[in-house]
Amino acid sequence: MTVVQDSAPTVRRAPLPIFGKVFTDSWRGLVGWALGLAAAAFLYLPLYPSISGGSAMQDIIKNLPPELIKTLNYDQIGTGAGYAQATVFGLIGFVLMTIAATSWGASALGGDEESGRLELTLAHGVTRVQVAAARFCAIAVKILVLSALTFLFVLALNDPAQLQIDLGNLLGTSLMFGGVSLLTASVALLGGALSGRRIGGIAAGSGVAVVGYIFNALGNQSAGLEWLHNLSPYYWAFGSNPLSSGADPATIAAFYALSLVLAAAAALALRQRDIGV
Amino acid sequence: MSHVALDPSTGVRADGTRSDVAIDVIDLVKQFGHNRALNGVTFQVPRGSVFGVIGPNGAGKTTIMRALLDIIRPTSGQATVLGTPSRNAGPDLRRRIGYLPGELILEGRTSGRRLLAHYADISGPVQAGHVHELAERLGLDLDRQVRKLSKGNKQKLGIVQAFMHQPELLVLDEPTSGLDPLMQQEFLTMVREAQSRGQTVFLSSHVISEIQQAADEVAILRDGRIVTINTVDELRSTAIRHLRLVASGIRPTDLAAVLGALEGVTTLECTLTPAGDAEAVATLSGEIAPFVQAISTLQLKDLMLEEPDLEESVLKLYSAPAHTSSPSSPPSSPPRDVTT
Repeated sequence: MTVVQDSAPTVRRAPLPIFGKVFTDSWRGLVGWALGLAAAAFLYLPLYPSISGGSAMQDIIKNLPPELIKTLNYDQIGTGAGYAQATVFGLIGFVLMTIAATSWGASALGGDEESGRLELTLAHGVTRVQVAAARFCAIAVKILVLSALTFLFVLALNDPAQLQIDLGNLLGTSLMFGGVSLLTASVALLGGALSGRRIGGIAAGSGVAVVGYIFNALGNQSAGLEWLHNLSPYYWAFGSNPLSSGADPATIAAFYALSLVLAAAAALALRQRDIGV
Repeated sequence: MSHVALDPSTGVRADGTRSDVAIDVIDLVKQFGHNRALNGVTFQVPRGSVFGVIGPNGAGKTTIMRALLDIIRPTSGQATVLGTPSRNAGPDLRRRIGYLPGELILEGRTSGRRLLAHYADISGPVQAGHVHELAERLGLDLDRQVRKLSKGNKQKLGIVQAFMHQPELLVLDEPTSGLDPLMQQEFLTMVREAQSRGQTVFLSSHVISEIQQAADEVAILRDGRIVTINTVDELRSTAIRHLRLVASGIRPTDLAAVLGALEGVTTLECTLTPAGDAEAVATLSGEIAPFVQAISTLQLKDLMLEEPDLEESVLKLYSAPAHTSSPSSPPSSPPRDVTT
């Protein structure tokens, strides 16, 4: 009736198994995204001197349809900060981070459940809330790493590319960049936790990001559509040109806080559901 | 791996739960939309026993196991596992359980060793060297990438993962699926060893032959209900045996009269052999003694009585009319007549 307890030593256990596993599984992916962001920064930013120099480039931009210029935020690219915002933080970098954040968020719970692996993990000595929390924290760390690298890339090019970006503004914008990405990831996490499918997370995360971008672009077009800015996380983050005029710390904090709330909702959603049905 | 010392004569803990029962399932119902996967399932698995669940695909075996692990939540009823209600049970309970899912999906882009190390991180304490020992027994190469392993070898990884922390309770859903006959035997040996160490084993299969050697008791599940719970011996005593006999000095019609009068003899066919003897072919279920008595007066030339075919009798239970099923057959109830 009793289980014999042998005195043999037991295998040492990793301190944060679920959190740590995310990195052993996906460090290659993280390196890939970092290279992508580096490419975006190092391909776009060195072009700034040739664009700002009153050259033919400015004429080309002036001849673009004004709606397109407003959509791409090219109305600000006369300054180094505006240029870096329009190209890296607001466009290529934003797209890369949105894709990474959405796929990480969607895979963490929804994708793992859909594949059938979450069932076995949850059959072990962990709670669903622990798993959701550990995976959210891992995503947050990865996004902060990519934001920090973006900060460093832009910083490294600040002088060579004559961008003249204020260090504090760059830091604030990088944190904002991370915040808006983490928000996307959290929405994807919640979508995956609610649906139990990867596609549910992808739809939710990319939906929020894309709709946010479109609402920002539409709101830029006319005063009558400006109210759409209120519904756009993209506008919340970048609408006030944080790279040139400074990032609002309260807005940064709000992004991270909202992400935490969404992650908590994802954990609770996962806690209530039947897994893998 | 807890060891609770208590008076074996009572078997009742201070909190009222029975310590001699590893799994106590009472009137478990699980509804998935319009589909009722479990329809009032009640059974108990004594500690230290090996309990099998047999049923066709979709009978509810996996649903019961998932409910025990709190992966799904029953619509009503309750399951108590190792003295703890399974619903919203904390990680402490699951550290005392080893679980092998029926549809085992393992991460592919890692080695078996690393995957097991991860599961060791989140399960009960694993003795140093034990994983290696289990892998050796099953002939499993731990250094190969999981995705390159055959189905059988993946199944072995799943088995190691369930056994490695020597849990008090093993919940194994179709554990022998994908294993070759040699490995099935090795697995059954592991089950018996676990039992001798005091571990409880709850396992399922869609065929009884895979677990009849190991299981003390077998529940037969169909359409979300338990049809019967019997010991393997009880099942065997009611199981169908095919028989053939040749007797001289008796006409086929007389032989038919002798055998046909016996209870449990069905599909009886008596013919005249070219040598002028009477040959009978039939199936026999139930007690064997009356049959032996009846044929003792015959001048037998040949007699063949096959080993009981448990598979066949279980298949009959699968297809028996649903109204005969009872969700709460006590474990010691006599087996139902399966020959009708």
